[in-house]
Amino acid sequence: MGFRGSVLAMMAGLGMAGVLAGCATPPPRSNVAAYRAYQQQNDPLKPFNKASYRFNNALDAYALKPVAQGYQAVTTVGMREHVTDFMRNLNEPGELVNFMAAGKPRDAGTALMRFVLNSTVGIGGIFDPAGSLGYHHVHTDLGLTLAGYGVPPGPYLYLPLFGPSGVRDATQIPADFVLTPAAAAPPSTGLSVFNYSSDALNVVNERAGLLGTLSNIKATALDPYATFRSLYRQHRAAELKSIHRHDVPTVPAWYPPAQRAAMQRAVDQKYQKGS
Amino acid sequence: MMRSRRVLLGGFAVMPMLGALSAGLPGVAQAAGASGPAAAAFIKNSGEALVAIVNGPGSKAEKAEKLRTLVNQIVAVGKIGRFVLGRFVRVATPAQVTEYQKLFHELLSYNITTQIRAYQGLTFNVLGSSAGPEGEMVSTVISRPGQAPAHVQWVVQTIGGQLKIIDVVVEGTSLRVTERSDYASVIDDHGGQVSALLTAMHQQLARMRAG
Repeated sequence: MGFRGSVLAMMAGLGMAGVLAGCATPPPRSNVAAYRAYQQQNDPLKPFNKASYRFNNALDAYALKPVAQGYQAVTTVGMREHVTDFMRNLNEPGELVNFMAAGKPRDAGTALMRFVLNSTVGIGGIFDPAGSLGYHHVHTDLGLTLAGYGVPPGPYLYLPLFGPSGVRDATQIPADFVLTPAAAAPPSTGLSVFNYSSDALNVVNERAGLLGTLSNIKATALDPYATFRSLYRQHRAAELKSIHRHDVPTVPAWYPPAQRAAMQRAVDQKYQKGS
Repeated sequence: MMRSRRVLLGGFAVMPMLGALSAGLPGVAQAAGASGPAAAAFIKNSGEALVAIVNGPGSKAEKAEKLRTLVNQIVAVGKIGRFVLGRFVRVATPAQVTEYQKLFHELLSYNITTQIRAYQGLTFNVLGSSAGPEGEMVSTVISRPGQAPAHVQWVVQTIGGQLKIIDVVVEGTSLRVTERSDYASVIDDHGGQVSALLTAMHQQLARMRAG
């Protein structure tokens, strides 16, 4: 956990630096259009965010991207998919906790089934038999749970190392460190090695999947920073919708057939089955 | 967070190639009854035409020219351009709007031609369609060699009696909305001057011509 602890400490330090760097100056209220645009952007920490963005870009260009390119050259799509499945499986218990906290019983059941099936039949999560059985992965995290409670996203935050986030969504970073099976295991050298390597592999594996994409967004966007900000917010909204859509009420099996059919129709209509 | 970012960015895996066809769309939906099956068939045909051009014979320049023609037929470029400009259409002079539309068209063309390699070996499946707020939403799964398949939705409207693509939605992110944020940010960062956007677009074009 030493690595994770130091990352957190570094984050806190950089956060302080961000506060010291100050906020963007809002335009005067008299300039209605500009003021509204400023509010829509909801990015008062822009100077700090842009500095982090530049930092991450430099880190990416000199370290992460070359490594990801090498990784891509020596792995196949299939191997990378299994790595993704494995990492996702480690995340599943945390998602289960979040779904329960968010009051999404169906999503929680799906996460539980996925973790049980994939950890056993799927050999520790390397394969995804649960997905083939219809238990499709639905992503969640503490930020989305809070969103479900009605907590507003707050100002945009672009964090060093972690990338696009928000004041609400950043709470999931420390939560993720706790809500992982590795946190429940007794500390040992072997576990530390596993943590280091799985974190590193996860980052590289992710980056490899985005090699063409990221350079393309950077090449075609006039303002890549603003483009990533917009993509991040839209994506979070879509994730929230997805959680809600997949949390379909179960029609009790012991209900009379006519009542079951009527209830099922109502559920299908509400959740637009298949979408 | 890293994990969620993977999901987030994974959605954009298809963006390079779709960026070409995408961009933005009009504020007022005038969906004149584009029926679901018709919209699905339209997307199927358009996708097949694109794949045929990319994997067909001819030099890169010839393919680029064919692609440009195809895109003009199937994408409501003008309408998308107006949407992307958004509220700034009120502060822009008519001459600026004309220049903007011209640049928007050209940038789109260049985006497409630089993407030809990315489209290579592309296959796609139309899953079905449903009525959306802006038009028919046609769902597809797009696969490329060496990439995980991506779910992509195409928003289709009937414009002037013809079916046209007005937006592309990848994993919940609309490309027209994204592009509008991008362009608006350039204008806002320069004190609301539309001329700054035009300059940035000119620079972008020059970069693309050079590279």
